[in-house]
Amino acid sequence: MSVRTEGSSNYEYVTARVRSRRAKLFDEDDYRKLVRMGPSEIARFMEETEYETEMNALGARHSGIDLVEYALNENLAKHFDDLLTWSEGPLYGYIANYLRKFDTWNVKTLIRGVYTDADREDIQDDLIRTGEFSDDFLDRLADATSIEELVELLENTIFGEPLADAFSDYESEGVLVPLENAVDRAFYAHLMDDIGTPEPDTPTALYREFLQAEIDFRNVRNALRIARSGADIDPAAYFMEGGRLFRAEEIRQLASNTEELVARIRESTYGDDLADALEDLEDADSLIGFEHALDSALLEYSQKLSNRYPLSVCPVLSYVLAKEREIENIRAIARGREAGLSVDEIETELVQ
Amino acid sequence: MELAAALSSVAPVLQAAENAGPALTAPGAAALAVGLAALGAGIAERGIGAAAMGAIAENEDLFGRGLIMTVLPETLVILALVVVFVV
Repeated sequence: MSVRTEGSSNYEYVTARVRSRRAKLFDEDDYRKLVRMGPSEIARFMEETEYETEMNALGARHSGIDLVEYALNENLAKHFDDLLTWSEGPLYGYIANYLRKFDTWNVKTLIRGVYTDADREDIQDDLIRTGEFSDDFLDRLADATSIEELVELLENTIFGEPLADAFSDYESEGVLVPLENAVDRAFYAHLMDDIGTPEPDTPTALYREFLQAEIDFRNVRNALRIARSGADIDPAAYFMEGGRLFRAEEIRQLASNTEELVARIRESTYGDDLADALEDLEDADSLIGFEHALDSALLEYSQKLSNRYPLSVCPVLSYVLAKEREIENIRAIARGREAGLSVDEIETELVQ
Repeated sequence: MELAAALSSVAPVLQAAENAGPALTAPGAAALAVGLAALGAGIAERGIGAAAMGAIAENEDLFGRGLIMTVLPETLVILALVVVFVV
């Protein structure tokens, strides 16, 4: 299922706007200030920035850190919807495919909401209204009262078939893992629709490379998490197709042996970018540092691509990633301050 | 016999064409040069204009700079106009 609009891509217009917006994101100084603020100060600070409109609009219904969080989501949705409004032709298709990321987020939120019997209002607050699903459709989904109903409603989307397949597993085991896994896999399986195998060293080829890197990193992360947790899970069941680094059979073997996995990543094309992080990983106990390193490596990679091919989808992707990181950083700071974490602890959580 | 008759009827026409000189006169060529230059400038301005509009939409202060950048390829047409005076 692909999205198509008429005409050719308007890269010039979209990249100009996107670059301008990227330049306006919070920089290191802003984060340094934010980390040292209390929860109410953060809210006040946000009211004076980019997030002013959302903070004011939601101020009547929420307060404190919740307000910050909902404002962040709303703002994210607004900016990403703008991207879709501006773009035309193949560019629209690329962006829409990538923004399905938020469809997966929404579907998971809905499934979890129904599973925990959350209020309709609460579920709706947590949705991020961007991506392929329209507002109406999301509202109808939020009205669903059982997971079966949700699966039926989603029948005509990319998530339909995988969800229907996973539904029997859910019914027999009573856990959400198979459903959520199906959603993620559907997203990654459709990520590279419409791209095919482009000529090497063209913008489209680089876009493909970027998506492959994202899938590879996702696989590495999953494998490491499974290896660390020591849980008796088959890593191959969580493997995403389409990457360059592993094949499904390999990951099963590598996940049981962290050292081999690290050696494998070091030899790969990502070795240079991740060298420092890999060293940390070998002597650290936690995966957090490494996962952040993966995030920032991806961010840097997207930035590199967007400089190499100014008139392509790469600057847009780089902006999408940077904006997502900003939202995650602010959320981490707000939640961290609320929980009373120290400045140092919060700073290790930030990805720049 | 018929062929010779046909040739003799065509020959004066061919001669007339030779007498008329080149198909494109000097002013005509100059006009074409200006036209092509203007077309090139238009193609160049398409991308720049789109990018400038994007920048202006984000930040209105960029209006002046955007305008200047957009009309820069117009210098091409002015240079091509010189050809008109040279010929």
